[in-house]
Amino acid sequence: MTSIESQTTSHLLDQQTLAEFIQHAGEIEHPREMIIDVLRAIQSHHGWVPDEGVELTASILGLTPIEVEEIATFYDKIFRRPVGRFVIHLCDSVCCWVRGADEIAAYLKKVLDIEFGQTTADGLFTLLPSCCLGCCGIAPAVMIRQEFFGPLTPEKVDELITSLRKEALA
Amino acid sequence: MITLTADIVRSTNKKLTMPTLTIDNQTITVPEGKTILEAAEALGIVVPHFCYHKDLGAVGSCRMCAVTVHTGPMPGLKMACLIPVEEGMVVTTGDDASATFRERVGEWLMLNHPHDCPVCDEGGECQLQEMTISSGHGIRRYKGDKGTYTNQDLGPYVAQEMNRCIQCYRCARTYKDYCGGRDFGVMGSRNRVFFGRFKDGMLESDFSGNLVDVCPTGVFTDRTFRFKSRSWDLEQADSVCPHCAVGCATIPGGRLRELQRVCSGDNPQVNASFICDRGRFGSGYASHPERPRQARHKDQNISVEDALTLLESQIRTAVQQHGPEAVLLLGSDRASLETNWLLQRTAKHFGCRVPVLNAHARRHQTAQIAAFDFSDRLASLEDVRNSDLVLVFGVDPLAEAPLLALALRQMVRKQGRVLLYDPRPVELPCEFDHQAFSPAGLQELLENGGVEGRHLRDLLGQAQRPVIVAGADLLGPLGLQSLHAWASGASNAERSCQVYPVLAGANSFGTALLSLPEQDDLLTRLESGKVKALICVETDPLLEAPHGERFSAALAQVDNLVVMDYLPTPLSTNAGLFIPTCPPVEDSGTFINNEGRLRRFRQVIKPGLSLARTGAGEHPSREFTLITPGGDPLPAALVLQRLIRQEQELSELHRHLAEDQPRLKELPTITPGAPGKRVKPAVTRPQKTDKLPEQPAGTFQLVVSPARYGSDLFSRFAAKLAPRLTSTRLYLHPDDLFERGLKDGEKAVVETDFGSFRLTVASRPGMAAGCALVENNGDCPQLIPGAGLSYCHIAPGGADE
Repeated sequence: MTSIESQTTSHLLDQQTLAEFIQHAGEIEHPREMIIDVLRAIQSHHGWVPDEGVELTASILGLTPIEVEEIATFYDKIFRRPVGRFVIHLCDSVCCWVRGADEIAAYLKKVLDIEFGQTTADGLFTLLPSCCLGCCGIAPAVMIRQEFFGPLTPEKVDELITSLRKEALA
Repeated sequence: MITLTADIVRSTNKKLTMPTLTIDNQTITVPEGKTILEAAEALGIVVPHFCYHKDLGAVGSCRMCAVTVHTGPMPGLKMACLIPVEEGMVVTTGDDASATFRERVGEWLMLNHPHDCPVCDEGGECQLQEMTISSGHGIRRYKGDKGTYTNQDLGPYVAQEMNRCIQCYRCARTYKDYCGGRDFGVMGSRNRVFFGRFKDGMLESDFSGNLVDVCPTGVFTDRTFRFKSRSWDLEQADSVCPHCAVGCATIPGGRLRELQRVCSGDNPQVNASFICDRGRFGSGYASHPERPRQARHKDQNISVEDALTLLESQIRTAVQQHGPEAVLLLGSDRASLETNWLLQRTAKHFGCRVPVLNAHARRHQTAQIAAFDFSDRLASLEDVRNSDLVLVFGVDPLAEAPLLALALRQMVRKQGRVLLYDPRPVELPCEFDHQAFSPAGLQELLENGGVEGRHLRDLLGQAQRPVIVAGADLLGPLGLQSLHAWASGASNAERSCQVYPVLAGANSFGTALLSLPEQDDLLTRLESGKVKALICVETDPLLEAPHGERFSAALAQVDNLVVMDYLPTPLSTNAGLFIPTCPPVEDSGTFINNEGRLRRFRQVIKPGLSLARTGAGEHPSREFTLITPGGDPLPAALVLQRLIRQEQELSELHRHLAEDQPRLKELPTITPGAPGKRVKPAVTRPQKTDKLPEQPAGTFQLVVSPARYGSDLFSRFAAKLAPRLTSTRLYLHPDDLFERGLKDGEKAVVETDFGSFRLTVASRPGMAAGCALVENNGDCPQLIPGAGLSYCHIAPGGADE
């Protein structure tokens, strides 16, 4: 285990965030409860959480890497592998399913030319199935960057993909 | 009707109720709080289960133990491991609903399990096989592919085959929860769950081998035993681990004259169902390539019979010509109770003076305090596990008594508190308060106490089930006597303050119990010049007692050095007359552990060169003969009996021993594999204790600690433990290091009473200032723990050549 003091810079977090985490970890009784916060900060800074990200989190919180990895690998919203710029979480729970999520899934795979878990060659899109997103009112739905889109039809999917492509070019 | 008695009835006010229930038309009365599964087990009804484990508890995750409860407000299918028994409960285990449920669970657990049983090392002792068959599942209906995983390299001891995993979580519950390991865990979710490390590498816990025992299928197997034998081909027997004085139950397994593996046995009072890696993987001493297997007189190989004839005449001549002092018999704390007692009988038989049973005089003296003064208040490890306050003085549990560390963890998990006072930077697999006191500071704390001592004694007085753990090596006779006063002071009419002494050898307690007080030690007797023949039985004072140079010098005056041993020690090699004996796995006998518990072990294998060696990897020789190569060694107890021409069955011997030693009255009734009984308490004997030496200016207090691996002679001669060995360092507190102008990694010369050593220094912030810590192992065999308080000078040792 690396000691908490030894880590002052990292390419995975900006220096201020890192310093804040270290300070906060020293103040609370169970630094373990900050695992997800640190992992998410690393993910938003770096795009995904590499092995060094798990080790960094462990050293900030005084844990062993496996204790962080257990959490990191449990949640499908923490990425332990590189992902595209836009991660499309397509809900596969019951409301979305009865409202045609399977068709939307097939359409997304066709237009992006990828399977679930893959990233487009241009590095823009990653397609992932997700458990219930909690927005059954707009089923079938996807979540991209914490934003919900639905109810989806193939036309709306086209629109969405086009606007995201445009954003990427800007 | 059967009644299951409460094993622990501790609540004083609350009366324990004993509900009576009916399972499969049989009635049983069990203590409140027991589960249906435990009640069924007591009736001999097997309810299939995976995730429930006696010492890990129940989590109800595998769904295998379904039974039907017919009574109460919510009748129906229940998990037997989770439901506490109730008065008047009616349960069936074989009804259609539960049987079908269990069959489906069996089918579901087998969805991903490969059919590689013919090549799986677990075959023959696989709980998954047994439970699948007992669940009734046979025909696979699922047509999909099986899940596959990439395995990790978990180091030289534990092999992983994740495809076989059925997600019962026993490994994680053992490694993390019970043993406190922090480098192994559960990753992923749902059908991708993976049990392993963050990255490939050796499992770090000193209890990692328990994964092998608890895994109900072949995910974790003993890598050192892989593909060596099928479990049903092994010769196995209930044994006792000889590596330390805890006395854990083990089940060693051997085949083709080779000790191939060691599994944990089960002793609810001692180790529960777990052992440490030193005991599990440290078995190589029995088939060490240099193990002496041939009787030898000077340079001539002779038969054991001839050696015995020669020895008899040597003893008789010496006694006749020079009197009873001329023959000195030396016993050992790694030799069995029977062997040590027979040594006393041998002395009587030939008219020699009483034997010395332990070459290490100070260890022997402290063991005597444990065996006599503490005998009415000795705690078992189960008492430690159930305690609410444990004060540990002068013990590094992971080095001196690993299972004690696990016991402390269990009491901390139950909200108990551990306060530890020791100069070393002690690590434990649980939360504890460590105060780094120097050895002299520790003696002062125990003697006068001051504010801190008063506070601790108050804590002891207030605790409900207090236990003091006393390190014999570090505290010595003086410290142990102070602690005796503490324990008496903290006891009251309702409960006694118990003590768990940590002694050095598997049979330290036994040798102490057999010995007379106020007896001259080995060096005093040797240096008197009267000893003409020294007979060392399973001991090498050069490796097992301090002042090796004094011993060597005194040895020069001895005409005959006779050694009986099974380890290739320097003394075995230099003996004038050598007789090969057997380690505990090749012998049946008794050890008495730290808590005065008689622990019987039974012979597992017969002595002989393993087929792997005689065949040199090929088919063994096709010559047919009745002689076993390397089969000469005899158990030391048998050697001694032949020497005095009184061969007896073990049971007969035990009867005589119990008559001779009233405290061992229970000995004839104890069987191997049973928890074992305590020796009878004794009256306190007067002990003289030496005053502590004054500290010369500019010196450090020398602390010699056993290394976790390679300090006891068994593990020193066990090749499998090599990956865990550490090299010897001179550990100093960072302030001391700075003050002496030394830096981490530099050499220093440390001048001790036992010689001068040039060692690499290392800084250890967690240790007591003013102390110099050196670990005893094969690298540094001259410094022996338990030699008493002494001082050393430290000087820079210059650069490496």
